[in-house]
Amino acid sequence: MNLLIVEDEKSLAKEIASYLSKENFLCDLAFTGKEASEKIAVNLYDFVLLDLGLPDYNGLDLIKEARKNGVDVSFIIITARGAVEDKVRGLDLGADDYLSKPFALVELQSRIMAVARRKFQITSPDITLGEFVLAIQARKILHNGEEVEITKKEFDLLHYLVMNHDKVLARHQLYEHIWGNALEDQYDSNFIDVHIKNLRKKLNVCAPTPWLETVRGVGYRISTDQ
Amino acid sequence: MMRLQTKLALFNLLSKLVFSALFIGFLPLITDRISTRQTDNELIDKREEVITLISEVGIEPFITDDTITGFGSYNILKEEFISLEKIDLSEDWNFIEVTQRLIDNETIDYRVLNYSLKIDGQTYLLEIGKSLSSMRYAAKNIRKVILIFLAFFILVTLLSDLLYTARVLRPLKVITRRLEATSSPSFHDSKQLRTTTKDFIQLDRTLREMMKKIEDLFRTEKEITVNISHELMTPVSVLRSKLENILLQKGLDHDVEAGIEESLRTLHRLKTLVNSLLTIARIESRQYMKEDSIRISELVREVTEELSPVAVDAGVEITLNCNDDFVFRNANRSLIFSMFYNVVNNAVKNTPRKGKIEIGGKWRDAIFEVSVIDTGKGMTQKQLDNLFSRFRTKLDPAGDSTGIGLAITKSIADFHDIAIRVLSEPGKGTEFFFFFP
Repeated sequence: MNLLIVEDEKSLAKEIASYLSKENFLCDLAFTGKEASEKIAVNLYDFVLLDLGLPDYNGLDLIKEARKNGVDVSFIIITARGAVEDKVRGLDLGADDYLSKPFALVELQSRIMAVARRKFQITSPDITLGEFVLAIQARKILHNGEEVEITKKEFDLLHYLVMNHDKVLARHQLYEHIWGNALEDQYDSNFIDVHIKNLRKKLNVCAPTPWLETVRGVGYRISTDQ
Repeated sequence: MMRLQTKLALFNLLSKLVFSALFIGFLPLITDRISTRQTDNELIDKREEVITLISEVGIEPFITDDTITGFGSYNILKEEFISLEKIDLSEDWNFIEVTQRLIDNETIDYRVLNYSLKIDGQTYLLEIGKSLSSMRYAAKNIRKVILIFLAFFILVTLLSDLLYTARVLRPLKVITRRLEATSSPSFHDSKQLRTTTKDFIQLDRTLREMMKKIEDLFRTEKEITVNISHELMTPVSVLRSKLENILLQKGLDHDVEAGIEESLRTLHRLKTLVNSLLTIARIESRQYMKEDSIRISELVREVTEELSPVAVDAGVEITLNCNDDFVFRNANRSLIFSMFYNVVNNAVKNTPRKGKIEIGGKWRDAIFEVSVIDTGKGMTQKQLDNLFSRFRTKLDPAGDSTGIGLAITKSIADFHDIAIRVLSEPGKGTEFFFFFP
């Protein structure tokens, strides 16, 4: 997939590009609004990662411009401003998603994938995890065709780990993904551990879950090569 | 405490009453003088009439021959009399006096006009009298009329005063209403006031200018928070992305991995801290909308459900007892959620295994009250005093992590006019009460 990163902080733009390139995205960079405006007009991108705090341009104007010229590109806004009004205005103008700085690169990637699935209407296939099957569309986990009862949060956790399989996800990354930034006071919580513990307990009744690994001192990982 | 309109009307009434009292005090004097003058004029008129009559018909009809020295006539109620008699006088008489006369064995006070006239060399004395009692009667009538008129006058002017002041003071009401309806300077009704009173125009202008200034200040503050978040969050973002990219490299030493994760966690902590401070700043500069209607029982249930896995893990039992329903209007749902969430979460953290947390919601004396009561370790008075400050001192042994959650709770409550009361005793637990407006 083809993607333009519009970000005036060059080192951040390069880090994002470095990560997404490894995930097989084709990345282009623009460090100013003017540059971005030209590139969007000339090239055909699937996605634009747009920083709203550009020195020479109001980021939202780039979206307006693109929409006016009939460019079919999905915008994901990244901003440090974090004001709710900006978010609402961005989404009103037709941005597809919104991320506040500082965000996790895995979170960024999963947002892009979510938009891509919507955009290209990809239906997610069911995923096999040991003896279990994760039915993404139905938001269920099955063992021998029988549904195992888990909570919405537990499913979200599992889903996020599956989407980023074979990568270690830190507790705070998981926390951010599931609870967003709404609850500010939780950096030292054991929320994630509790939910993973409950999830394991429920699944282990049916079958062992060696694919759900604890990486000591870091976080959790789902391995698909077992 | 009295309304300006009432004050003005009262003052008007009072000044009128004082004036009237003075007037009534002097009234007998005035009416007496008026009636005396009136009587004197009447007497003089009658004298003229009598003189005319005499000059027309001569003196003979009154005094026919020399044997009769006088003529007298009075009406049956003895209010008036006229007499004419011969008299020897060296001077001309023409004066009015008060004298007593005996008529039919009755002594009556009269005001009498004495007038001497010469006819055919003979001097006659003409006396025309009017009884004082009839004069007094007339004076009393005058007084009555004046008093009625005065009462009527006071009543009418009082009413018109009230109406007029109400009309003149209406702009003041408009200004007050506008100010009351203003929740934030940017929502102030800045239409110019329609009035012809210069003072109100000036007041209105000053207020509108002040609102503008406050609005500018608020906007500056908003910009500052936006700038702070931008300036702080961008470098944090760079650092985070760099570290995450390093972490993704294959074949890293486990210690390195754990070290980087530790750094990421510290960055996360920095982020949540800055976000918390910004949240408080945004709440305090009123950047959040209050447009939701919240069913409190539902929201409290959500908070409980959210936290129950952690509570179960910590061996703490949460019971929810919120049956009375209350819909909180003009509120911000996510803020109110955080407000309860922080308090319940705090209770879970501070309650040891086998402890209990009771969440209740009920009406008490027309006020809806939500309570969060735990059997945790409780707080000393000193800890209670600093409960809502942004950074509790680290000397505080019970102080957890940053403790900024409760500061957020407090600012959210203030933003929504919700009163909070906390009761706590070391070792016995803590009770939080929220009183909804």
